[in-house]
Amino acid sequence: MNTVAIIVEAPRAGFWRRWLMRSEALRGYLLLSPTLLVMLGIMVIPMVGMVVLSFWTQHAGNTFDTTLTLKNYTDAFTRDMYRILFMRSLGISLLTTLFTVLLAYPMAYFVAFHVKRHKMVWIILMTLPFWTSYLLRVFAWKIILGYNGAINSGLISMGVISEPLTILLYNPTAVVITLTHAWAAFAILPIYVSLEKIDRSLLEAATDLGDGPVARFFRIVLPLSLPGIIAASVLIFIPTVGDYVTPSLVGGTDGYMISNAIQFQFARGNNWPLGAALALSSMVIVTAIVLVYVTVIRRLTARIG
Amino acid sequence: MSGIGREKNRPLAIYAVFYLAFLYLPVLFLPVFSVNDSIYISFPLKGFTWQWYESMIGNEPMLNSLMNSIRVALATATISTLLGIFAAKAVTRYTLPGARPVIATIMLPLVVPEIILGTALLIVIMQAGGTLSLLTVTLGHILLCVPFSMAVLMSRFEGFDRSMEEASADLGENAWWTFWRVTLPMAMPGITSSFLLCFTISFDEFIMAFFLGSTDPTLPVFMWNQLRFPQRLPGVLALGSCILLASFFVIALAEYLRRRSSFNSDPGAITID
Amino acid sequence: MKQNDMIAALRGGTVTRREAVKALSAMGLTMATLPGIAGRAMAQSERGTYFTWGGYDDTGLFPTYIAKHGAPPNFVTYGDAEEGFTKMKAGYVVDVVHPCSNDIPRWKESGLFQPIDTSKLSNFPDVFERLATLPGARDDAGQWYVPFEWGATSITYRTDLVGSDPGGESWNMLFDEQYKGKIAVIDSAADTWWCMAILAGVDISKPLTPENIEKTTELMRRLHPQIRMYTNDMTSLAQSLASGEVVMAITWNEVPVQLTGEGVPVKFAAPKEGALTWNCGLMMHKDAPNPDDAHDIIDAMLSVETGKYCIEEYGYGHSNAKSFDQVDAETLASLGLDVNPTDYIDAGNFIYPQTDEVETQMNRDFESVKTGF
Repeated sequence: MNTVAIIVEAPRAGFWRRWLMRSEALRGYLLLSPTLLVMLGIMVIPMVGMVVLSFWTQHAGNTFDTTLTLKNYTDAFTRDMYRILFMRSLGISLLTTLFTVLLAYPMAYFVAFHVKRHKMVWIILMTLPFWTSYLLRVFAWKIILGYNGAINSGLISMGVISEPLTILLYNPTAVVITLTHAWAAFAILPIYVSLEKIDRSLLEAATDLGDGPVARFFRIVLPLSLPGIIAASVLIFIPTVGDYVTPSLVGGTDGYMISNAIQFQFARGNNWPLGAALALSSMVIVTAIVLVYVTVIRRLTARIG
Repeated sequence: MSGIGREKNRPLAIYAVFYLAFLYLPVLFLPVFSVNDSIYISFPLKGFTWQWYESMIGNEPMLNSLMNSIRVALATATISTLLGIFAAKAVTRYTLPGARPVIATIMLPLVVPEIILGTALLIVIMQAGGTLSLLTVTLGHILLCVPFSMAVLMSRFEGFDRSMEEASADLGENAWWTFWRVTLPMAMPGITSSFLLCFTISFDEFIMAFFLGSTDPTLPVFMWNQLRFPQRLPGVLALGSCILLASFFVIALAEYLRRRSSFNSDPGAITID
Repeated sequence: MKQNDMIAALRGGTVTRREAVKALSAMGLTMATLPGIAGRAMAQSERGTYFTWGGYDDTGLFPTYIAKHGAPPNFVTYGDAEEGFTKMKAGYVVDVVHPCSNDIPRWKESGLFQPIDTSKLSNFPDVFERLATLPGARDDAGQWYVPFEWGATSITYRTDLVGSDPGGESWNMLFDEQYKGKIAVIDSAADTWWCMAILAGVDISKPLTPENIEKTTELMRRLHPQIRMYTNDMTSLAQSLASGEVVMAITWNEVPVQLTGEGVPVKFAAPKEGALTWNCGLMMHKDAPNPDDAHDIIDAMLSVETGKYCIEEYGYGHSNAKSFDQVDAETLASLGLDVNPTDYIDAGNFIYPQTDEVETQMNRDFESVKTGF
């Protein structure tokens, strides 16, 4: 567009240099190129391979029928089992995302606005628990939620219940609790980062205009921290849909998710093409949900702003 | 900067304490059971023992896997954060035609289930005649971490006050100097957050590390593979407790050194951070 | 105002820039570790590589190998043999791998393995013939699979919570209404499914017929509502038995031994329909980079020294008949191995390894039952 104008008008001397400096796009892409090249370099072939694979058919053993077919996709979308697993996974991930972000926001807010010194120490303190192995944390949750676990022992000794509750562990609730804990840092950090950059003079201006703390929060802080909220929810929602380890450890018989089904097809199920088709379908669905979510949030804030 | 921050908000402070308790609750069970004289993690506690720590000290494969993990996580966090800075800066600073598909491409690993990514990468590496090592694990982890790094940094750079950089440029500073003096300091909270997130992801990642690793397992791979035999769990617990303790110690030490040095050389520092 | 901000930012910069310098020096440190990451990959090729469950990467299992080579083989571990198989199908190459007997046809059919030259195995003549000739282990092309360790799969139950002999031990115990939701099973068709097949009266030493599959799947479907969890690892099963989370679980034979050792009152059932006997062993990759070493690894694992260690430390039977002479009777009794191993093995309920097609069908049925369909 305006590059043409630049080329036409550019004086002879230092032509390329000027062109380079003026062309936003070129400078942008130059800065972007290392990341883009690394990511493309590692990803392109595997991803194209996966897409192609999803149109093949598995033969017994380790061979494929390479005639292209849509069969895997029709399987993925028409079998009741996969539909229910999809819904279950999305439900669990949405709940996890909601709880994680809701619980983490006040904490991030506290550190950003009320902690005066050593903010980074606070932030690191909140990531520390996640440096102990995930496996150990899951076992710890089992101690807390389990049959003779901390919660049950506590409730029994207080006389609230006489028999240990079995509804705490090995069901979708346990999956949501474990995930809400596991992903906490992934909510706190992005939200903190976006809260931290809010210009404090805006808050003062609002106070000067007579806004109370609540009005100030909804008019300024919340809208300005939206990039962080969006980043946090996307960063949590997407990977939790793909997690198959937590459901299989604490989910019990109802904890089987779409990602377990994908993993199954790559292992015992021995149907890689179907696994690839399931994975690609879930990727498309998840991406669509995320796009809708981001658009809606942006629209809403545009209206408020 | 009067007012806002100085206000005491007691309910919020109480909430913060409870939330920290929630984060630490499961983790604090680890030291408790690491000195429990039973191979099973269950109540009631059986008796006190140091034996799991003793078994840990002699467990060379476990300690090796810990070192492998630290190495991979450090490399991953550094490289991913660097790549994240470039990408986030580029898409927020410049109006790029086709920025959306580009962002989508970089974010892609986030949506791909790890088992797919791991298997597919493994096939490509094997077809290309490569060998598996910690380097391939690092490569896989970078792939996973760059989207996180970019997302965190984008939320930092978005709506970044460009006038600062322009002012610096107007003062005749060159682009690198501007980046060094203005952009980097302002982005520091984002950079630290990105580094911490990437380190955490890589340090705890199992699936990619299993598919792309070989004779040098990372700690998560080592731990998961111990599940076949119940008697190996307490040793792992002891190690988990040590990691927790050691990271506390390192953070405390770093903070102590930082405060001392900033107090000595630049009294202004205290008011700023 | 802008001017002020600028100064403040640059003043702030004096602090954070130092942080940045620190960050950069940390980065330099990181880069310095990178060569280390790359360099260690080189050491692999000298000795053979043994791909196995975590826990078998134990130097105690390789005294004869270490005596000969000065060091144990290179270990690479998995948490689940099936994950290891997926990794090999994706192109990962090792020398020796550790599957179980029910995997043989499927693994063989993948074309990833080669027969083992038994003439290079000095200990092979002492291996139980019944184990070495399990279906699929040997054919005209040679010995594909060399057995290593064996044991039983049955129900471990809490005697304090269920009673010591609840109406005769049987696989039917799992269907008792009063223990609904207090039962755990192994999350693999290789174990749980076959236990149900035994209960269904299927002759598991023969190839399965479609009716037999249907019959067994039906039982699995009835069992499903009873189950609290499916899990693949013995640690989770043992943990939940110890805490009382579940009162009965399908486990391997070492689990009750350990639980008893820790003071948990459990018993390993001897179901009247018969327990399941499992056997795992070794196969050799077709592109094994160190074929001679591969044979050394296998031969070492068949040795009497390894057998003694395997029985005493792991509580498993060994494939070398002579290993049992090395272990005292008391230890054998505590492990439930105080029987004539030959008789035990000959009477054992070994799974007939099914073709890839049948096995995959079974696995898929198992998955739909597990998800409640």
